[in-house]
Amino acid sequence: MFDSHSIPVSRRDLLRRSGMGMGMLGLSALLGRDFADAAADPRNLNPLAAQKPQYRARAKRVIHLFANGGPSQVDTFDHKPALAKYDGQELPGEHLSTERKTGAAFKSPFAFKQRGESGLWISDLFPTVAESADDLCVINSMHANVPNHEPSLMLMNCGAPRVNNVTPSMGSWITYGLGTDNDNLPGFVALCPGGVPIVETQNWRSAFLPGAYQGVHIDTKNTEIDKLIANIENDRLPRAVQRRQVDLIQAMNREHQSRRSADPALEARIQSLELAYRMQLEASDAFDLEQEPDHILDLYGRDLQGRQMLTARRLVERGVRFVQVWHGAGQPWDSHEQIEKNHGRLAGECDRAIGGLLKDLKQRGLLEDTLVVWGGEFGRTPTVELPTPGANSPETKLGRDHNHHGFSMWLAGGGVKGGYRHGSTDEFGFKAVENPVHVHDLHATILHLLGFDHERLTYRYSGRDYRLTDLAGNVVHDLVA
Amino acid sequence: MSSRPHPTAPRLRTRLATPVFAALFVALASAQTTGFPPEQLEFFEKNVRPVLADHCFECHSGAKAKAGLRLDSRQNVLKGSEFRLVVDPQKPEASVLLLAVKHAGGDKVPAMPHEKPKLPDPAVAALEQWLKMGAPWPEDAGGLSGDDPARSHWAYQPVKAEAVPADFRGNPIDWFVGEKLREAGLESAPAADRETLVRRAHLDLTGLPPTADEARAFVTDPRPDAEAWPALVDKLLASPHYGERWARHWMDVARYSDTRGYEAGGRERRFVYSYVYRDWLVRSFNEDMPFDQFTVYQLAADRVVDRDGPDKRHLGAMGFLTLSKNGPTEEVIDDRLDTTFRGFQALTIGCARCHDHKSDPIPTKEYYGLYGVLGNSFEPEEAPVVGEPKSGPEYEAYLKKLAEKQKVVDDFLNPKLAEAAEKFPELANRQAQLLGKLERADRRKLQDLEKVVDKFVADAGMEPDRALILEDRERPAPQAVYIRGNPGRRGDIVPRRFLTVVAGEDTPDFKEGSGRLEMARAIADAKNPLTARVIVNRVWMHLFGEGIVRGVSDFGVAAQKPSHPELLDWLASWFVENGWSIKKLNRLILASETWRQSSSHPRADSYAGVDGDNRLLWRQNRRRMDFEQMRDSMIAVTGQLDRTLGGRCVEILQPPYSNRRTVYAFIDRQNLDPTFRNFDFSNPQQHTGQRPVTSIPMQGLFSLNSPFVQDKAKKLADLPPVRGAADDRARAAALHRAVLTRDAGPRDLELAEAFVRDFRAGGGPLLKRQTVTEWEYGYGSVDETTGEAAFTAYSHWTGDRWQVGAAFPLKDDPRSYLSAGPNGSSHPGYTDKECSIYRWTAPRDLTIRVSGPVERAAVGKGTGLGLRVAVSGQGIVLKTTLPATEKQKAVTVDKLTVKAGDTVDFVADPLENNNSFDSYNWRPEIADLGGSRDRWSQTAQFSGPADFMNEWEAYAQALLGTNDFLFVD
Repeated sequence: MFDSHSIPVSRRDLLRRSGMGMGMLGLSALLGRDFADAAADPRNLNPLAAQKPQYRARAKRVIHLFANGGPSQVDTFDHKPALAKYDGQELPGEHLSTERKTGAAFKSPFAFKQRGESGLWISDLFPTVAESADDLCVINSMHANVPNHEPSLMLMNCGAPRVNNVTPSMGSWITYGLGTDNDNLPGFVALCPGGVPIVETQNWRSAFLPGAYQGVHIDTKNTEIDKLIANIENDRLPRAVQRRQVDLIQAMNREHQSRRSADPALEARIQSLELAYRMQLEASDAFDLEQEPDHILDLYGRDLQGRQMLTARRLVERGVRFVQVWHGAGQPWDSHEQIEKNHGRLAGECDRAIGGLLKDLKQRGLLEDTLVVWGGEFGRTPTVELPTPGANSPETKLGRDHNHHGFSMWLAGGGVKGGYRHGSTDEFGFKAVENPVHVHDLHATILHLLGFDHERLTYRYSGRDYRLTDLAGNVVHDLVA
Repeated sequence: MSSRPHPTAPRLRTRLATPVFAALFVALASAQTTGFPPEQLEFFEKNVRPVLADHCFECHSGAKAKAGLRLDSRQNVLKGSEFRLVVDPQKPEASVLLLAVKHAGGDKVPAMPHEKPKLPDPAVAALEQWLKMGAPWPEDAGGLSGDDPARSHWAYQPVKAEAVPADFRGNPIDWFVGEKLREAGLESAPAADRETLVRRAHLDLTGLPPTADEARAFVTDPRPDAEAWPALVDKLLASPHYGERWARHWMDVARYSDTRGYEAGGRERRFVYSYVYRDWLVRSFNEDMPFDQFTVYQLAADRVVDRDGPDKRHLGAMGFLTLSKNGPTEEVIDDRLDTTFRGFQALTIGCARCHDHKSDPIPTKEYYGLYGVLGNSFEPEEAPVVGEPKSGPEYEAYLKKLAEKQKVVDDFLNPKLAEAAEKFPELANRQAQLLGKLERADRRKLQDLEKVVDKFVADAGMEPDRALILEDRERPAPQAVYIRGNPGRRGDIVPRRFLTVVAGEDTPDFKEGSGRLEMARAIADAKNPLTARVIVNRVWMHLFGEGIVRGVSDFGVAAQKPSHPELLDWLASWFVENGWSIKKLNRLILASETWRQSSSHPRADSYAGVDGDNRLLWRQNRRRMDFEQMRDSMIAVTGQLDRTLGGRCVEILQPPYSNRRTVYAFIDRQNLDPTFRNFDFSNPQQHTGQRPVTSIPMQGLFSLNSPFVQDKAKKLADLPPVRGAADDRARAAALHRAVLTRDAGPRDLELAEAFVRDFRAGGGPLLKRQTVTEWEYGYGSVDETTGEAAFTAYSHWTGDRWQVGAAFPLKDDPRSYLSAGPNGSSHPGYTDKECSIYRWTAPRDLTIRVSGPVERAAVGKGTGLGLRVAVSGQGIVLKTTLPATEKQKAVTVDKLTVKAGDTVDFVADPLENNNSFDSYNWRPEIADLGGSRDRWSQTAQFSGPADFMNEWEAYAQALLGTNDFLFVD
């Protein structure tokens, strides 16, 4: 009775890629009627159906590695020998204000080396990532608006600097623009272990875009699939029995439909129910890291960060459009104190995993059209943070404050230049001075790589056409290979 | 000047800023109409126009002029920029325009021309002299040619009701809709049958499905439709559930939330009294409060309600404004203005916050005029009590606890304040300012202490109902334009008054307090061209799925045109004439043939090419239930819906599941459970006019797998008529009737019976399994020759591991450490009679590959493990050992062919009857080598005992997941 419902591979693949579930084919066959008209606009049936970009894309998907809290550029990717010279002295030149009081120049406790054939300067904090130096496109001249976490997170994720602004997140925009290549998985996934970052779920909100485009948060501290995605597993019916139940629902749906005139909305639900059934299998498969061979598990490291980077790869490999990987809940990279110890620990947690991800993407040929973005919401001061009563502990020492004037991020794959360094900060790494790249410019460039004119990826809401880059943003063509 | 009769919006956009200037402008304007002396015009042409053209027009002419300042006509020069006037008629020499070209404006006025050399002195002198003459400009030189086309946009014109022909006997709605259909050569759909109508009416008016008995009562009502139908509609309008449904619609408009939004530092986010507003809405809709009054209460109840009288409950209405997002003042005010103006006027005035509205005649100056109204309103420290005062021992106990908690705060704060007062004696009586003088650390500590109190109050829910109101400042402060929306950059002071495009150029400045009441009355004014149209359109949308104007919260110039403009106006005018009654409007619409037509049309296929969008309403729109209708219906069909009206919000998505209606759900603005938006619920961050309708797999997963739906299915199967049914057929019929509120047809019953039969026959063995997956866990021995295992499944589940019994390890028992846990962890018993076994049962005929490592932690200790893979009917297909000296062994069978129901056993024995140090992890995985990508991973699928559904629960759940249940025809 419970016979197999297997489908020959070619047809199943076709279904997976075309955004059409079995319900669709089943129904048209049943009614002997062509649904092409009603389904002409795939959005009528499925808001996540794959879409073509506006012009030729270099990248098809994005992995955004979010070092939330603000990693220090002068300790990672922005080599500033002058800082050592001035160590312990007041920096010359204008005083830039940041969140808290800072004092004298504070040289990096980490050694920098030139890496790869390109000779990019990368500190010892990221030795494994540095092995992929020739694939990195380092932007040393990033800048944002203010030295506070909340507005900066909002700017980096939602293109608008206020927590209460109404704009959707970058992942939602991109999923809105491109849909997903795999209807059996969400289009936009936010991996964050142990809880949520500050500003919480607003970081992956769809805002005025439909809920279909919101990021699905997955707490990667969990390893059990049913704790990863809501309602992904049925613990009351064996799968084969559930299949029979779904068949019953679809049979009733077809009866229902046959008594009514054609209606794409009914058809859409028939399809999405079928997709839901498939998602159960696909999602548990995507998150089942045990399927990976040992050498891959070892490449990423068998720890939390290794697991989440590997999960990210498995997701993009299966067609998820935008995967955001957060270092952790709260703001882990926020090293106001003890930069050596804290940054050392944080980079130690993720260096191997990120380096492994880059190499693995490359060896699979995925790096070519997968854009990897690494960075925080801002950087840190090259000066040492001073104790401020009530803000940090009186013993505060050897840490750095927030710095939005200048910081570093890097891109890799997805059509960007490898082994390339763009822009620079002043000689101490405080402020972006040469070819500054604002967060809006970064967004414009990311959309460009994905095949969109950032001024034309818009959504009309409340009387105006909104876009990710608000009223700003220039594509940084120098980054594009 | 052209003259166009228009009672509410005179044509000329003068944007007068001050009365003094107004008087002067009249003088200037009259000088202009009588004509300037020719020598002055010549002076302009010779000395001024060339300067303007050469140096200014590049940025300051045409529609895209910088800062909205156009110097290309006299009128435009006098109009000024978006932020301020540039000509001071009283002191022309002090005009901003002159300061700019003289580079004499300091920080306040940018030097002009922008980033270009200063104008030559003679040019500056000419400009100054020209302004002193009163800015002469030839009459025909453009800019004075009359109307701003945006002002003639249909939505700004007075409502004009066209009469229905005297000989038309039916519902006027049908005449208007019928006219358009006739023009397009279409015919409306036949009337829907009674079964469809009763369900549609119930769900539209109350948000709840009819019970099967209610549905049958209407279907079999012997009275003709003309009597039975109005009786049904009246009954539903009188139902208290009507108010719940329609309140929830308005809650979208009001971006209702039970939390403020993001708060740093763990501060309490909940509004303790948000429900007071929601309950006021429910009651107001139930009482059919006239919409004009409903409007005034929400914006200015504080000004019209006697706080000591019985009407004080209406103060609760002001949650419309006060349940706003938190944040900086200008964000809060912008949010309140946006909610008010998109909500009541379908105007997107927020666009004018930084620059004049791009498409609608809403200048920035007018935005700040309204901003001044809310900027001069404040939330009083103590929200007034509007509910029954509380008393009794429980409440006393609460107060006592509260006082204790507050004392902790006071004990900390008072000495600190005293200290500060000593340092700043001039602030001794001004607590707010003294607080600002505390050390940062102390302020932080204070915040931490206060949040404990706030949390206690919010958790306890013991306070009497209070209304979150606004009050007017005693002495309103003047309001300046914020240049480019930046409160740090002030432009001209602007008058607080209503939008001129709505109320006319001569609309007076507000005089009373902040002007909030006057603003409310300007909106609730029968002459306001927008208010009635906007609400009538919203009601229409809720009853048809789409508005007459699509984009129900934007009636601006750039928005869509109404599909039936005459109908919209007729309805708006009828609505006002009928006392702004929403219920009467509901009744009118439901009485129409247009509403009552079927959602199917015999010629749907050919009509789809003409009007596929159904703009002309040739059929009713079929609608998927929204989240509230769906969840409420799922509870209602189990007969367990809690019908209590009002009260504090409840968590609805966590077990034990509340049976309260979804309108009472806790709405967390900051972290709304994704389930809400997966079902297209409104975004509580901002006003929502119309929800999107999407179909996504997350919705299907909810139907298939959510414990909530499973819970409802169980309750349905437990209903007495279901349980007590004589046979399968009767039972299926009873369930069908309970869920879909109508009797099952023969085909329905056929499907049900086939499903139940299959469930028992095919599902039977599966449903006797230990777990819901293909994997089972147990122990036993394996016959070396046949490969058949004597398998005993574990019977005890610890919540984490399978084992033989509750005790672990078992004393004096060879099964001692036998168990199976997560990540493939296990341990065999003493002998090969007590091997540890993972059993996989093939769900279908398959060719598979078996893989997965075995690891033993205690390398070098014990005797090692024996490993076997045995397949039913095939014997042992793999046999190996993991010696004590080795850590890991890969166990792989490259290809196996199995039939549905065959078992594959993964057997570990302790070797040499010694199970010391034999903890191991075996993570077997089975992959389909056939067409599918299916894999069965023991670790991923590891689970505890199954709590299987029975066939009737599964059938009930299926019914809840059908389109039949989820769509409203």
